[in-house]
Amino acid sequence: MTLNLKPLALALSSTALCGVAQAEELRMSWWGGESRHVATQAALEACGERHGHTISPEFTGFDGHFERLATQIAGRTEPDIMQVNWPWLPIFSPGGDRFADLNELSDIIDLSNWTDAQLESGTMNGSLNGLPVSTTARLFVFNTAAWERAGLELPTTWDDLVAAGPVFRDQLGEDHFPFEASALDATLIVTLYGTQMTGRPLIDAQTNEILWSQEELAQAIEFYGTLVDNHVVPAWRDVAAAGNVPLEENQNWTQGRLGGTYQWDSTYFKISDPMADTEQLVYTGIISQDGQQTEGIYRKASMVFSISSRTEHPEAAAQILNCLLNEEPGVAALGSTRGVPASTAGREILMAAGAIEDIQIEAQNRVLEGEGPAIHPFMEHPDVRSAMIDALEQYAYGRIDASTAADEMLIGIEDVLAGI
Amino acid sequence: MGGESRYLGLAYVAPYVLGLILFTAFPFGASLYLSFTDYDLLTTPEWVGFANYERLLTRDRIFERSLSVTLLYVFMTVPLKLAFALFIAVVLNYRLRAINLFRTAFYVPSILGGSVAIAVLWRYIFADTGLVNMIIVALGGDAVNWFGDPGNALFTITLLRCWQFGSAMVIFLAALQTIDKSLYEAASIDGAGKWATFRFITLPLLTPVIFFNLIMQTVQAFQEFNGPFIITQGGPLRSTYLLPLYIYDKAFRSFDMGYASAIAWVLFLIIMALTLIAFWSSKKWVYYAGDRRQ
Repeated sequence: MTLNLKPLALALSSTALCGVAQAEELRMSWWGGESRHVATQAALEACGERHGHTISPEFTGFDGHFERLATQIAGRTEPDIMQVNWPWLPIFSPGGDRFADLNELSDIIDLSNWTDAQLESGTMNGSLNGLPVSTTARLFVFNTAAWERAGLELPTTWDDLVAAGPVFRDQLGEDHFPFEASALDATLIVTLYGTQMTGRPLIDAQTNEILWSQEELAQAIEFYGTLVDNHVVPAWRDVAAAGNVPLEENQNWTQGRLGGTYQWDSTYFKISDPMADTEQLVYTGIISQDGQQTEGIYRKASMVFSISSRTEHPEAAAQILNCLLNEEPGVAALGSTRGVPASTAGREILMAAGAIEDIQIEAQNRVLEGEGPAIHPFMEHPDVRSAMIDALEQYAYGRIDASTAADEMLIGIEDVLAGI
Repeated sequence: MGGESRYLGLAYVAPYVLGLILFTAFPFGASLYLSFTDYDLLTTPEWVGFANYERLLTRDRIFERSLSVTLLYVFMTVPLKLAFALFIAVVLNYRLRAINLFRTAFYVPSILGGSVAIAVLWRYIFADTGLVNMIIVALGGDAVNWFGDPGNALFTITLLRCWQFGSAMVIFLAALQTIDKSLYEAASIDGAGKWATFRFITLPLLTPVIFFNLIMQTVQAFQEFNGPFIITQGGPLRSTYLLPLYIYDKAFRSFDMGYASAIAWVLFLIIMALTLIAFWSSKKWVYYAGDRRQ
């Protein structure tokens, strides 16, 4: 009698592939737009099936996600696996103990897919608290159809952009603008302009010191005023009048009345999906200024995946995390909804499948090739952002001048830095 | 009452009492303790005495701004809402055709009003190109910047709260129906008109209910969160930045739970003080059955 051992061998080998974890019930949380929600749920199903676990999804938009995660961590009810914004790591886990040390799970997670620098960016106090999902930067993205309607070439310098404002108004109408920036986006334009002008970041990533003088900051703030005065971006007051809707819900954007924006490259689908069929987005280089000291790219790990240090199932969570970032079922299902993967294996899987659109590859190349000083994670501290937005808003409403706005920003930022 | 019955009664109230202790009394006490600590949510609270209160009352400009906005909001919302609820209740007290349908229709906003969906809807209705401005422009007026103008934004939020007048209206309506009809007949025989009847019979007999609604609505208005959080995010220029938003930001964005607790306790003391003033003043304007005042 000849025994057919193939099925048995196959079953045994697949069991071995699954590691030692038993079937577990896990939770995973993230923020994002519709395309990311759909893809991540599919990926969790695929990875759950592969490793024999069940993962409950918990997803929201970006607004409020920080507070939700903070409450969960404080209440010890955080999910097993979490998508964490990179600048939140020093807030949630300054000692490196709030999230699991993924080095200790390296027999399950293939860490060789990340460079040392990437792993370092997710390390807090010697503990690998998060694996970078992708590297992202704020990039300029323009609607070529809108610029064609205005009869203009895409801008490469701030002067080009400023000159385009009156043309958009005269050619297309009062509600057409070559660009948009309000609230947070406006503060990032101020940050970019000042970085290009001085060659220094606003906050030094190593020393936690503010590197701009009050005059330099005031000059950058005044430039925002120039953009508003020249009909380059809608006035803050008018954006508020529309209800402060996110860009992807803003009809002026989706219908092509706004010619460009300054956004994370990882949000490409979020801002491009709702656009009318007639509109076409392209990434350009960072808009430059005469005599600039640096291109000033604002680049960082877009987000990391972390495992709770309190999870009862670290091995199972590690299997799922590895599947999402390094294994075919998870990577293929996630696609490029979080940008081009930072993991080598993840990137290769998507490239081989042709799942990354050319425009995303082009944007990613711009992200990686861009030049600029390191970003301090506290640039995205809620209190730093609040100090910057509050002062810029008062300036935008004409309540204070640029010099006073600069003073107020610096006081607010210094308060936060003093607490580090 | 036998011992068994007594225990049965205790068993009946136990779930409520347990909930009260766990979800109200304990957080209440805990927040008082936390208000004297430096607590970042993630590490052990450190006792700092009155430092949070000292900072709050002497150095915090945002608190000053937020408190003045909150008081303005409460003083606009409560009288407007009570007046509107009373007006509708009086109208719905008439024997009209399909009156129950109208009563239900007017109560519906109160069921929906606090929801996130309605706040989002409000954002679209009052947006620059929203329904309200479309009507204003169609009538020949100029579009109003409801959310972008600091002078209008708080009023827009106030309207949302006033729109949720249903619960106050139902209480007014119930009270109106308890007023003895013979009083109206006597007034009519004496030649009193509708306004005089309302002014000298209906209104005095409603004062206990007006007082009750005043207290309830004041407390609720001080706790308003959803509307400004979703519609304006406290802006522009913090013109809708009510104290509950500030408490939320301090607790969950700045991780300053001790300080947030101190703000919450100051808010509690303000509500308590206003309630005591209302009770004290009620002796002069609230009339109960059997009251012999002139």
